[in-house]
Amino acid sequence: MAFFLETLIGGLMAGMLYSLVALGFVLIYKASGVFNFAQGAMVLFAALAMARFSGWANAALGGDSLILANIIAFIAAGGVMFIVAWIIERLALRNLVNQEGATLLMATLGIAYVLEGIGQTLFGSEIYNIDVGMPKDPVIMLESVFEGGILINKEDFYAALIAAALVIALSIFFQKTSTGRALRAVADDHQAALSIGIPLNRIWVIVWCVAGVVALVAGIIWGSKLGVQFSLATVALRALPVVILGGLTSVPGAIIGGLIIGIGEKLSEVFLGPYVGGGIEIWFAYMLALVFLLFRPQGLFGEKIIDRV
Amino acid sequence: MSKQIGDVILDLQNISLRFGGVKALTDISFNVYEHEIRAIIGPNGAGKSSMLNVINGVYHPQDGKIMYRGEERQQMDPHLAARQGISRTFQNIALFKGMSVLDNIMTGRTLKMKSNLLLQALWWGPARNEELAHRQKVEEIIDFLEIQHIRKTPVGRLPYGLQKRVDLGRALAMEPKVLLLDEPMAGMNVEEKQDMCRFILDVNDQFGTTIVLIEHDMGVVMDISDRVVVLDYGKKIGDGEPDEVRSSPEVIKAYLGAGH
Amino acid sequence: MIYRENGQFKTSYGADQQIFPIAQDRYLVLAIIAFAFIGVPMLADEYFFRAILIPFLILSLAALGVNLLVGYCGQITLGAGAFMAIGAYAAYNFLIRVPELPLLAVLILGGLTSAAMGILFGIPSLRVRGLYLAVATLAAQFFWDWAFLRIGWFTNYSSSGSVSVSNLTVFGWDISSPVNKYLFCLAILVVFALIAKNLTRASLGRQWMAIRDMDVAAEVIGIRPMWAKLSAFAVSSFFVGVAGALWGFVHLGSWEPAAFSVDRSFQLLFMVIIGGMGSIVGSFFGAAFIIILPIFLNQFLPALGDLFGIAISTAAVSHAEFIIFGSLIVFFLIVEPHGLARLWATSKEKLRLWPFPH
Repeated sequence: MAFFLETLIGGLMAGMLYSLVALGFVLIYKASGVFNFAQGAMVLFAALAMARFSGWANAALGGDSLILANIIAFIAAGGVMFIVAWIIERLALRNLVNQEGATLLMATLGIAYVLEGIGQTLFGSEIYNIDVGMPKDPVIMLESVFEGGILINKEDFYAALIAAALVIALSIFFQKTSTGRALRAVADDHQAALSIGIPLNRIWVIVWCVAGVVALVAGIIWGSKLGVQFSLATVALRALPVVILGGLTSVPGAIIGGLIIGIGEKLSEVFLGPYVGGGIEIWFAYMLALVFLLFRPQGLFGEKIIDRV
Repeated sequence: MSKQIGDVILDLQNISLRFGGVKALTDISFNVYEHEIRAIIGPNGAGKSSMLNVINGVYHPQDGKIMYRGEERQQMDPHLAARQGISRTFQNIALFKGMSVLDNIMTGRTLKMKSNLLLQALWWGPARNEELAHRQKVEEIIDFLEIQHIRKTPVGRLPYGLQKRVDLGRALAMEPKVLLLDEPMAGMNVEEKQDMCRFILDVNDQFGTTIVLIEHDMGVVMDISDRVVVLDYGKKIGDGEPDEVRSSPEVIKAYLGAGH
Repeated sequence: MIYRENGQFKTSYGADQQIFPIAQDRYLVLAIIAFAFIGVPMLADEYFFRAILIPFLILSLAALGVNLLVGYCGQITLGAGAFMAIGAYAAYNFLIRVPELPLLAVLILGGLTSAAMGILFGIPSLRVRGLYLAVATLAAQFFWDWAFLRIGWFTNYSSSGSVSVSNLTVFGWDISSPVNKYLFCLAILVVFALIAKNLTRASLGRQWMAIRDMDVAAEVIGIRPMWAKLSAFAVSSFFVGVAGALWGFVHLGSWEPAAFSVDRSFQLLFMVIIGGMGSIVGSFFGAAFIIILPIFLNQFLPALGDLFGIAISTAAVSHAEFIIFGSLIVFFLIVEPHGLARLWATSKEKLRLWPFPH
């Protein structure tokens, strides 16, 4: 039982991280109808920037204050992501308005290549560490309930907390601020939003910036867990089933979808994996999403599309 | 000219259709005789298009039954309706934009083409002959609709009026028993309307096709249809020959508002 | 002036329905095919065959298959690599388990296996479309990546995980030299391109396009979406599967699952989009572009660096490749979203009128 719970909690933590990446997808899809395959590359780019800036700042400060160095690095990396978002919107997406979904998808794949190339040219292509001072030691919980208690990684726990905070902040941003309202209006109907004077291009830049910040947070958490390296770009592929499960247009969907996928992956790997040779995590998530799609094509919280003739 | 109006070909009995809580159609019954032109009229949102969608199986009514050629239809879907000889045109032209006029109309022959995948892949004897035989048929329709000059043009490039004509051509290529026309003249100028009326009457006359049409232009409806059914807010409020309907107080009220 | 159709009158529908109704097109294509069979083997050297021509032919075939599904039937796929893998591994298993089968039969059986799997993984297309479908096809990709890596039976329990074939002969004709490999692939490609063209101008192709353009209307005129979509998945997977088998057998000789990874799927989709969706000739353009570009950059960038006296490291070259490749793709999508095939069609149109502008 304790082992099961441990796996379950491990899954929840991993799921939270997927949710973070998935959130980036949902934001951009909601506001511009673009399925942003470059989200993974953005995570990589942001993590690379963060890792290097943090290293440089730390050296410049003489290694006295890790926290200050990290704050400087975070602000700098955030600035870099803003610039990246602005350039992407300006050079690529603005010129692709009203293209078909497949074309936009391809364009973001192209952007992903560019980001991966530039990121590695600017920041190097070795493996870097991000040390934001998160405790890495495991703790044992609930010793009174189970014999031996449950082993939980503290780092996972903090990561999940940060992710949850980010999600809440985003929800407030969407629901309560006027920019958030404009974003929702744009998501509903581009033309109508334009006609009541919402500046589309600016809104899109904002969305990409927000997605950039989400990518930065995801990059920091993933990076401090696994190290910053090229394979980080593939987390986008891991997060895809999450979006599908949750629904492409739903923020809560991204969260719940992430948790379901996280738990599903871990449980299947631990309890099913040994029978079929292991390594089933990656396709299991997709199969889960696929089976789900057959019964509810629009995802858990997605909007149902009704065809009219 | 006096055409032969036949027996009841299509009989709708107590049809009700709901979308969630919204009632699109409530307890509607009417019938269509073979070879006649039957018009459905009514203000916007009266449920006219829903009615056509029920007839050709796109929507499934919750209550009521549909008798088609004396048999009750069950488990209807659009493909089956097509197989039984019901074809239609669309209000917001639903042509295949990436294809030429010729190919669009050729798709209307799909159900009549029998050669299999392998023969088609090789463009072998039977497949080739079949293709050419159907091309012949399609050319007849193209002649009939007077669109020879645009047969190789992608339909996306055509003006609105011609697109409507191609839409009709595609429906005709199926050689339907019953042809459903959803606002065939919407957005046309007078000349184009005249052409379209001529085509509709010719189809009815030459091929004996039964026609059910939705139209807003009262002049046209009163001129060409044999009988008219009037819908308002999903309910039937009038049914009969054009003159009868025109003088019905309820219909006048629906069209002109209360107080008249 | 040369490219004119004046005086070429069609007197039958048959003449009007041929593949190249304009005589000049016909002669041009025949000339190109003749040159490919006779001229190229005399001119090209071994590197050219191995690095460019053979990959071009095989990936053109795969891109053609993907184009049938994506460009003609409008069903997006990100799992084409998996179906290449299925074709390759199925053919391999037929080869080692039924040794008496001739090579052509093995390749076709590989394709048929892939087609069957294509139908299976095409089933979600009946319920979902667009991006959701793309993700469903990714499921196929990751599942088969895993299966060929972890399930020993598929690789005949090879200890290294890679499988290899050798001594390929077709009807006694040895195809181990690059020239013969090239000719073999070329012959297959010509036949398959003809099949693709025939299908797309016949009833089946029209059904696919109808589903792509307006699925509700297609159903109303009597097209069964299930039949149209699944047949597109089957035919497309067949093409891709045969290409996969060729890639493994003829081009690589020995391979492991990584040869057919998700990157391959993306690459094929790039070919189709850059070449032109819904265009047979576009598939060739796209394949040529995607294969030649990296090779060109690889040669060109260091040369450019030398010119300015800067030594460019291999890592920098590979990063620059990423950047230029990605930018070109975005640039292309902005400038000509309908791909190289549209550019080709436009220039032909202009040429017909030349030298008079209107």
